[in-house]
Amino acid sequence: MSEGGNAGRVTGASIERAPSKVGDDSEFRVLRTLAERFPRTVSEGTQVRPGLLRATVERSDLFGVCRVLRDELGFEHLSMISAVDYEDRFEVVYHITSYQHRLFLELITATPKDDPSVDSISSVWGGANWQEREAYDLMGVVFRSDPKLERILLPKDVLYHPLRKDFRG
Amino acid sequence: MAEMWINMGPQHPMTHGLWNLRVKVDGETIVDAEPEVGYLHRGIEKLCEGRTYPQIIPIADRLCYGSSMTWSHAYCLTVEDLMGVEVPERAEYIRVMTIEMQRIASHLMWLAAYAGDLGLSVGFTYTMRDREVFVDLLQGLTGSRLTYNYPRIGGVAHDLPPDFGRDAIRATRYMEKRLKEYEDLFEGSKIFMMRNVDVGVLSKEDAINLGVTGPSLRASGVDYDLRKDMPYSVYPEMDFRVATHSDCDCYARYRVRMDEMWESCRIIRQAIEKMPKGRWRVVAPRNAPVGTGVGRVEDPRGEAVMYVVGDGTDRPYRLKIRSPIFVTVSAAPKILVGYKLADVVAIMGGLDMCIGENDR
Amino acid sequence: MNLFEFCHGIIHWLVDLVNNVWYWLGDFLPWYFWEFFTAVGDFAASESHLTLMTILLETLIIIIVALINVLNFLWIFRKLSGRILDFYGPYYVGYRIGGWLQNLADGVKLFVKEIIVPAKADRLGYLLAPIIFVGSSLLILAVIPLSVDFGVATNASGEYVPAGAVFALAAFSIAPFAILLAGWSSNNKYTLIGGMRSAAQMMSYEIPLILSAASVFLLASSFNFVDIVDAQHDVWFCIPLFIGFVVFLVCLIAEVEIIPFDLPEAEAELVEGWTTEYGGMKFGLFYMTTAVRSYAGGALATALFLGGWQGPWFIPDEIWFLIKAYIVYTVFMWLTWSVPRIRIDQMLVFGWRRLLPLAVLNLVIAVAVKSWGWV
Repeated sequence: MSEGGNAGRVTGASIERAPSKVGDDSEFRVLRTLAERFPRTVSEGTQVRPGLLRATVERSDLFGVCRVLRDELGFEHLSMISAVDYEDRFEVVYHITSYQHRLFLELITATPKDDPSVDSISSVWGGANWQEREAYDLMGVVFRSDPKLERILLPKDVLYHPLRKDFRG
Repeated sequence: MAEMWINMGPQHPMTHGLWNLRVKVDGETIVDAEPEVGYLHRGIEKLCEGRTYPQIIPIADRLCYGSSMTWSHAYCLTVEDLMGVEVPERAEYIRVMTIEMQRIASHLMWLAAYAGDLGLSVGFTYTMRDREVFVDLLQGLTGSRLTYNYPRIGGVAHDLPPDFGRDAIRATRYMEKRLKEYEDLFEGSKIFMMRNVDVGVLSKEDAINLGVTGPSLRASGVDYDLRKDMPYSVYPEMDFRVATHSDCDCYARYRVRMDEMWESCRIIRQAIEKMPKGRWRVVAPRNAPVGTGVGRVEDPRGEAVMYVVGDGTDRPYRLKIRSPIFVTVSAAPKILVGYKLADVVAIMGGLDMCIGENDR
Repeated sequence: MNLFEFCHGIIHWLVDLVNNVWYWLGDFLPWYFWEFFTAVGDFAASESHLTLMTILLETLIIIIVALINVLNFLWIFRKLSGRILDFYGPYYVGYRIGGWLQNLADGVKLFVKEIIVPAKADRLGYLLAPIIFVGSSLLILAVIPLSVDFGVATNASGEYVPAGAVFALAAFSIAPFAILLAGWSSNNKYTLIGGMRSAAQMMSYEIPLILSAASVFLLASSFNFVDIVDAQHDVWFCIPLFIGFVVFLVCLIAEVEIIPFDLPEAEAELVEGWTTEYGGMKFGLFYMTTAVRSYAGGALATALFLGGWQGPWFIPDEIWFLIKAYIVYTVFMWLTWSVPRIRIDQMLVFGWRRLLPLAVLNLVIAVAVKSWGWV
């Protein structure tokens, strides 16, 4: 804040027009780069609709893919981590946003039922920590090397993970 | 004075809800902070798995009492993405109009709480009084004052009442007059500026890294608004500007929200002027296909994302809700450290807490 | 007739009545008790005893009048808050007099509440703090006369307590100790921080307050309220000492702890500050005493700067005094609801770096005014 008093009264002074950049060719660049860098683990890279991409990654390479996404492809923001309990597997779905390219990527990782664990990406995106804790709390997916992996919404002494399908309250 | 931990919450005037902020203070200076949430966890995600798709709309309303229209709209958008339902254009315009009204009401409630936090009682009562204008409009439209249950999968519940557009335009004109007065009231006060400028600085890099979204992100100088950059509904048709500010402090957050209210007034008027005639609802299928749907909207508090997994039945297999405030709160320790105890209320008030959507 | 003569008459009549009964009782006893009875009766009828009782009665009357004013103040506070903040304020209890009785109803409610002492609190200090707070605040009221004739005088010619103004300021500054005691003995972190804040705040605002009052004493060449008010016969001191007047008002706002300087009980961050652990009538005493101190502050500002009870003849002196005190209080309230709360470090900086130099400057102006004889 450089000026005091009634500075900023004029609304136009602090607002800039933001051009929409949806649908430029960077979407394909992202998918291509992921497929080239991780040919064995990244699969099913598709463009669902303009601006929304989807890719599947095996959990062994999740951390590396996230590093590449942030450092080389400009995905600065982790929107959401959702854990889904399917009959044969857990899926951890990462929704990742790129501010500069106006892109939204759905990155899907599967983890087996008997060992529900993936790498923590808290060191890539700092905002991931609480979402990982929430996924661990409600679904029981373990995020390896998370700085503080403990229950967040439920009390610390709860013995179950309520969002699992086999949970009966 | 030795360092000590103070529990600000769960019963504390600062919290505006039910959560706990543990701060470690050295005298009056904060050296560490640790938010604790979960006191209001209602298990909405699990609850939704047992409800049919239309039954979830009222539950989505109850995610946040301050911006319920936005949440039910986000839910409908997500399920329409899953089901592939095309919404009639009139319904889209009605939705945009109502969620912008909701945005103004939510920001006004934020402003009221913020003024109350800072001890400016006039600001509290006046803004709450003017919020009534939009709450009354929405009540005339939907029948309720807080949880509207108005959007439907495939449109909205019913058409606008007669003369609604005229009343809404009059309300925006009134609101713009009042906004000028608020700017005089708040920024004309030297003490308000002293309490806000250079308090709670969250740098651009930290804001991006910690996942802060919405007005708090734009106040840190990042020009990103989902309405503009990932447009949904009929926002591409609207002429509005994205409010940003480069100061990164509490004043910037205040300023961004004020500017957003100005822009929302413009959007409401445009939506009413451009609103086409026609149907306002199509019939959505009862069962969703197998697949996933994702919807993102610009909540008054940030980026609200919903992710729904359909399994061919009439109930969602999984519904994940991303609350913007949940991630923003996790950034609180980063902002708080180094400031005075009295700044906690300014900083946490400036982030616009809503515990209903935070704990879900 | 001034208050002393009035009270002296009442006391004299009472003592005569009691003495009559006393001697009549003594007649029933054997003669060797009569000397004792006579000695006691003579002592009761002696002038020193009568003066002592008169002063006590005067004090009682002054404090009762002041507490009625405090009720008015609380009522004004609530009604004015309502007008400014867009709500009604009290109106139900005492409907025909604008809800004036609401404070009495609240007092009754607080009186019937249980006295709770927190388990780990320092019991003695916890119970002593409200007493010190209330007592020291009532002391201020006892020495402020409402007019030449209406005050606690020490003899029939209406002489008041010597150096009454200094006594009032001294009594004003006892409160921080009570607040610190309350904050410490409650054994709660919020009350502790509130007490610490209160101590820091009151210490740092006491000095400009007393310095600006000192300029008044300089101009009036007296510590006595009557002399000070008489010295303002030509021009009120708020005109030559305008800077001092403003400094005095700002410091008063800090001393009575209302927004923007209500940091010790900042409800947004410290729940209720140093009153957090107090409930029932103990809290009621704190609440009432805040209004008492507001009244005392308004009365002090009136007596020192606004010409006291001086005004046109058609309104009695006492009413003039109260009108001015009410106006000062109303200005306080108006300020209170219009500004946010300041932060503790900003507040201390403001006190030491702005108010203190201004108070010293004001003292210099007072010396100049006095030495050139402008007033």
